[in-house]
Amino acid sequence: MKKIAVASGKGGVGKSSIAASLAVLLAEKKDIVVVDCDVDASNLSIILGGGEMKKEESVSINEKAIFHPERCISCSKCRDICAFSAIDWNEKENMPEINRYLCEGCGSCSLVCPEDAFIMERVYNATIGEVETDYGFDLVEGQLTIGEAGSGKVVEMIKQRASEKEAEIMLLDVAAGIGCPVTAALKDVDYVIVVTEPSPAGLSDIKRLMRVVDQFDIDCGILVNKYNLNIRTYEDILKFAEESSVEVIGKLEYDKTFVEALTHLKPVLEIDDRYRDIFEDILKGISLKFE
Amino acid sequence: MKIAVTGGKGGTGKSTVATALAVELSKYGNVLLVDADVDCPNDHLLLDMERKEVSEVETMIPEFNERKCKKCGRCSEVCKENAIVQVQDKYPILSEDQCTGCRACMFACPFDAISPSKQTIGKIYESEGIVDMVSGEMDAGVEESSLVVNALKKHVEKKSGYDYVVVDTAAGTHCPVISALVDVDLGIAVTEPTPLGEHDLNLILELMDKLEVESKVVVNRSDIADNTGVKEVSERWKVPVIAMIPYSKDIERDYAQGKPIKHKSIEKMVGVVG
Repeated sequence: MKKIAVASGKGGVGKSSIAASLAVLLAEKKDIVVVDCDVDASNLSIILGGGEMKKEESVSINEKAIFHPERCISCSKCRDICAFSAIDWNEKENMPEINRYLCEGCGSCSLVCPEDAFIMERVYNATIGEVETDYGFDLVEGQLTIGEAGSGKVVEMIKQRASEKEAEIMLLDVAAGIGCPVTAALKDVDYVIVVTEPSPAGLSDIKRLMRVVDQFDIDCGILVNKYNLNIRTYEDILKFAEESSVEVIGKLEYDKTFVEALTHLKPVLEIDDRYRDIFEDILKGISLKFE
Repeated sequence: MKIAVTGGKGGTGKSTVATALAVELSKYGNVLLVDADVDCPNDHLLLDMERKEVSEVETMIPEFNERKCKKCGRCSEVCKENAIVQVQDKYPILSEDQCTGCRACMFACPFDAISPSKQTIGKIYESEGIVDMVSGEMDAGVEESSLVVNALKKHVEKKSGYDYVVVDTAAGTHCPVISALVDVDLGIAVTEPTPLGEHDLNLILELMDKLEVESKVVVNRSDIADNTGVKEVSERWKVPVIAMIPYSKDIERDYAQGKPIKHKSIEKMVGVVG
């Protein structure tokens, strides 16, 4: 199974819109499975028609410390040991106070407490499942329960679920940023489509993303979206690509059709046939690397 | 007053609104802008400001003392990140990438064989210009963004004399966003009128509701599509829409050239939050 990821560092540059169109095209020729690796705010199923999540499964990826004040002897050993700043000292009660939203469930407080006043409890912090799209492929997705930690681990789980489908190609739509959900998504892929837009922020963010891509030693190519919004920065991107010996695999114009497609819950190539050829060319360039 | 600018979805204009809001607020008091999108900090680019590194963000990493270690395996047992591998009768091995620096192994070791060593995971910068700014940046390859956000917050706590602190958060709803939002007085959710914007707005408003943060909504590129959906989501959470910023070539140009955007909706926003 070949794994192709669509990532960008910066959010809102068009990753999911581009991934959706590429998926529809790829599925016409190959057996594919698509993974929405943005488990904070999964959007791909909306662009692909908003189908219902099936084979839903509630998953537990970590624990939370539950504080039992009746056992606390105010020894203050737990004070200042939380690496995630989840424990505050309540001076009035002379007791710790846990902020459950900051707790990452490492268990350090329960280890230092001599009275077992912190009990670690498993929490169900995400739902994972599948969507049958209208385009002949399945989409595997997850949603982290709001306020919970651990998106990287959820990404690992949905990738595992997708790989069990034994498709020829796995296409991954990656979250914004370069933190744990992104590294979990990119870790073992064969190729990364780096999407950017011609703004100083867009360029700065692909530079940061590509440092992560380089660390994993993955082949990648740059796709510039809305390139005509700022030709000068577009040229800076081309220069950066040349200096770092990375291929520019395509460019897309700023076009309101993308917004129109979004409001119709359809990939852009279903609204405007021109995009069929444009994305076809992009795919041709990438598939050369695999054959 | 501490105001966070967030949004759930990426690219809705969080940084654009945060920088413009900070600049506009500076007419009424001392403002500190905090760029807490430590994965991809961009506020200095939007305001064309130089950044000066002021400190490194360090986290603990365990160091095993083989003379004291009895190979009991307790450290590997307590590590929830599976960062410590212990094969029977061998010394423990650490996978540094997976270590979050929580120190559970150190607390659990019965033989005091683990001592804290340090690893650098990011940097903190300061800038002076149209407003004062601090920003955090996580080193590429590090996963725990929230630790850099927490360090940045501690750095901000040491500063005084600001009437307004404007915190620009990352996209999404996970740890680094929660860390940035947890103690603010007001959270502004920037969204766009698309089905994706609506979906993610619902999530971020749910998060702020859980964190008990008062929130308000700003609709960016408000004229690119129908606003009914974002208004419905805002009403569902009983959160007011305080500004609508239309799509404009002028705004796009200012954004691309590193200038704070100007629009009457920003002035209006300050009237509501300030």
